[in-house]
Amino acid sequence: MTRLLPKRLWSWAALLFGLAYFILPLIGMTEFSLKMRRGVYSFDAYVKVLEDPKFQETFSFSVFMALFTIVFGVLLVVPTAYWVRLKLPRLRPYIEFVTLLPLVIPAIVIVFGYIRLYNTSSWLPLTGTAAGTNLLLMFGYATLSLPYMYRAVDTGLRTIDIATLTEAAQSLGAGWGTILGRIILPNVLVAVLSGAFVTFAIVLGEFTMAALLNRPAFGPYMQLLGANRAYEPAALAVIAFGITWGCIAIIQLVARFAPKPATPVKDL
Amino acid sequence: MTETPYLEIAGISKSFGSTQVVRQADISVARGEFVSFLGPSGCGKTTILRMVGGFETPSQGVIRIDGRDVTHLKPSQRNIGMVFQSYALFPNLTVAGNIGFGLKVAGASRGEISSRVEEMLALIKLPQLADRYPWQLSGGQQQRVALARAIAPRPSVLLLDEPLSALDAKIRVSLREEIRAIQRELGITTIFVTHDQEEALSMSDRVMVMNAGRIEQIGTPFEVYNRPATAFVASFVGTLSLLEAVVSDRASGEVRVEGVPLAGLRIPERLANGDAVRLALRPESLRLDGRDGDQQFEARVTVVDFLGSVIRIRLQLGGTRISLDSFNDPTRPPPSVDETMQVHFDPQSVLVLAD
Repeated sequence: MTRLLPKRLWSWAALLFGLAYFILPLIGMTEFSLKMRRGVYSFDAYVKVLEDPKFQETFSFSVFMALFTIVFGVLLVVPTAYWVRLKLPRLRPYIEFVTLLPLVIPAIVIVFGYIRLYNTSSWLPLTGTAAGTNLLLMFGYATLSLPYMYRAVDTGLRTIDIATLTEAAQSLGAGWGTILGRIILPNVLVAVLSGAFVTFAIVLGEFTMAALLNRPAFGPYMQLLGANRAYEPAALAVIAFGITWGCIAIIQLVARFAPKPATPVKDL
Repeated sequence: MTETPYLEIAGISKSFGSTQVVRQADISVARGEFVSFLGPSGCGKTTILRMVGGFETPSQGVIRIDGRDVTHLKPSQRNIGMVFQSYALFPNLTVAGNIGFGLKVAGASRGEISSRVEEMLALIKLPQLADRYPWQLSGGQQQRVALARAIAPRPSVLLLDEPLSALDAKIRVSLREEIRAIQRELGITTIFVTHDQEEALSMSDRVMVMNAGRIEQIGTPFEVYNRPATAFVASFVGTLSLLEAVVSDRASGEVRVEGVPLAGLRIPERLANGDAVRLALRPESLRLDGRDGDQQFEARVTVVDFLGSVIRIRLQLGGTRISLDSFNDPTRPPPSVDETMQVHFDPQSVLVLAD
């Protein structure tokens, strides 16, 4: 008992230190964001940020881009990860390596590559129009979120016996589209959603690609605001933090309703 | 078999790289017949089943269902129902959703799906579980649902890939009776893969015994058990004692075991006097009491297992161990260990296998 006590004390001390390390800056930032009006706490900074038409424009642009990126990412990653697991298991390490490349190749390199390949004098002048540049930006976002999306989906696929489920569906007359849409995707939906929310967070905060492609995204707006104002950037950071935590809360909520593996209960 | 084959597997072979797992298999299954593929792990039985299902392509040979060549059709085009060892129920769908899946894919109307699902739930005796998810069911219930799902779209052939292996012994016995009853009721042509000889013998119209990619014998359970075509079938199906012997007089069917003459045996024609043979004896063919025409030999009791209704006695004859099963007789105590006793048998029940 006497030995256990100091051990437990150390555990609590470590936990409290960790909490303080993460929470104190947040408290400080939140408190600072409320101090715009002298002498009293107020939401002035938040009101100013939310009323700024630039905020609304950039935020809605980034939300739409995030949604398109998520749809594109799901369409790209789910069939790929499924096919690799089902038919090409030997290629898994190589595919995993490829999906990890965006973590080591800086976004600036990718975006310069895009600009060189797809500029107005190239064979595919995507940067010549706003829609083309948006498409390019979406590809860039999908590349940046690939490591997270692929890993999430691949982990989800690991929890189900995709080979047998596929054969069962095939024996019942299902084609590949039906198998992917009605069997595989619903069973990895939580994994897909967790990948989707990470993608959402990445797109909302991304600066380099959006700035270099000159698109009105939320990342460059945050940077601009941070460089020119005092209280508003703190309010914006709190809002962004709230959005991220909201996403995590939704992942947790959705996970409760996810299909459970069909491990049988004990025979009676 | 005289009936026109409904499912015909002709000259099927399958190789994975340099390994040939199925060698020139020929099987014909009549409409409504229940045929079991029996054999040890790796003998090729599941590979044949998967080729019928379309999940593997034969390296050679043809598969026909009702006269139609399906060898190169996709699984989804064959109208096959399949039940897997691991149940393979779709976790995101309810029991009703699982059963109705095949019909939905086929484009059946909502009303048609609903009435067929109800019919299937009644057939598997689980009408109250329509809204449950697979994880809320026991293994036996899941496998029944898997069976209902496979037969709901009215498949031309039902394939059962070791469907009982993952279940408890008690559930296994009750479910195999249920599967057989449903198969009889619907008259669906069925292939059942198993490595459990009791399952194969108790459920099937015919049993196909396989070993190392080859078909060793196809016959009724009675034929396979009592008249095994090869030494492998004799040793794989049922318990068997093998006695080394030498043909001493082919004309009278006499052989000698450890010098003891045993007459009246059915010796295959290709054997001659002096040939070494093995006598295959089932435990239930040996008796403690003699009858007219019986042959006998003397052996020493080494082990007595009291199994309730049956007493299994292990005997030593020279260097060979023999098993004898005798019904329990409450008026007669079992023999003692080390006791020497006379063992009787009908010479017609002995299988003489060439060495």
